[in-house]
Amino acid sequence: MLQAPFKQRSHLNPELSAAGANLEKLLGRWLNTNRETRGIAECTVAKDGDQIKVSIVGVGDDGLMAWPTVTAHALANLEEEAGQRTGALMATFEFDFMRVDTHMRINKGVFVIVLFVMFLDDSGRSNYLNREFFYRG
Amino acid sequence: MKFVQICDQVEANAGEVDRTALIGTWINSNLDTTSIARVKISDANGRLQLQVFAIGPDGLIDWGTSDAQIFAGGPSSRTGVGFTCRYDFGFAEARLQAMIMKGLLVLAQFHLFKDDSGRADYFLREYFALSHDRF
Repeated sequence: MLQAPFKQRSHLNPELSAAGANLEKLLGRWLNTNRETRGIAECTVAKDGDQIKVSIVGVGDDGLMAWPTVTAHALANLEEEAGQRTGALMATFEFDFMRVDTHMRINKGVFVIVLFVMFLDDSGRSNYLNREFFYRG
Repeated sequence: MKFVQICDQVEANAGEVDRTALIGTWINSNLDTTSIARVKISDANGRLQLQVFAIGPDGLIDWGTSDAQIFAGGPSSRTGVGFTCRYDFGFAEARLQAMIMKGLLVLAQFHLFKDDSGRADYFLREYFALSHDRF
């Protein structure tokens, strides 16, 4: 039998053949634990048929700012520390002036969003990363 | 200035992000990892470059070099504290997202299979320490 191609031993983990992303715990509305945040106020993860949709609401100058809803890429989680097996999501939000690559996961019951923000305009702002934490709303 | 979160409304002067904190060889803190063993990060003519060595069944596998995108700690910061990078292996793609936290490099890996092996795309997150010769 031919061995599947690999670039690291975990590519050959037999559990990958049976792995589902196990995303149930990620679904729902999540509110930022920091009420003073100047970033993301809340995030909603929802099933839409076979797809997972993610909606984010940012904190604006004088109110909340809804980001466009995007489809997330679901990933299984086989080996994270402390035996956590809830899957992770990867999603990209694109605006005309910036692009935000994110990943989202649950860590000890807290929903974590890690953002990698890239500015496409000439504002002089640095591309930057940020992490925010959310509780179930 | 456009923004969709107020933290991005900052005064900023275009300038290069300092990559000093990221440069070096980062070693996985997990001796039993089945994934990336070490990451060599260097400055290649002003570009941030990675070379990844992963654990294979018979020793380390050199993924070769790839350019990375550097990220600061905030939109007005000029200190690099993380990066993203992609490796395309043909049968799969590995996307890396990393940040320095408490002196460690926290590396998230996203493995997306493109072949018909039936393997699920998966996520890994591990911690790496900067190798040094001080003690």
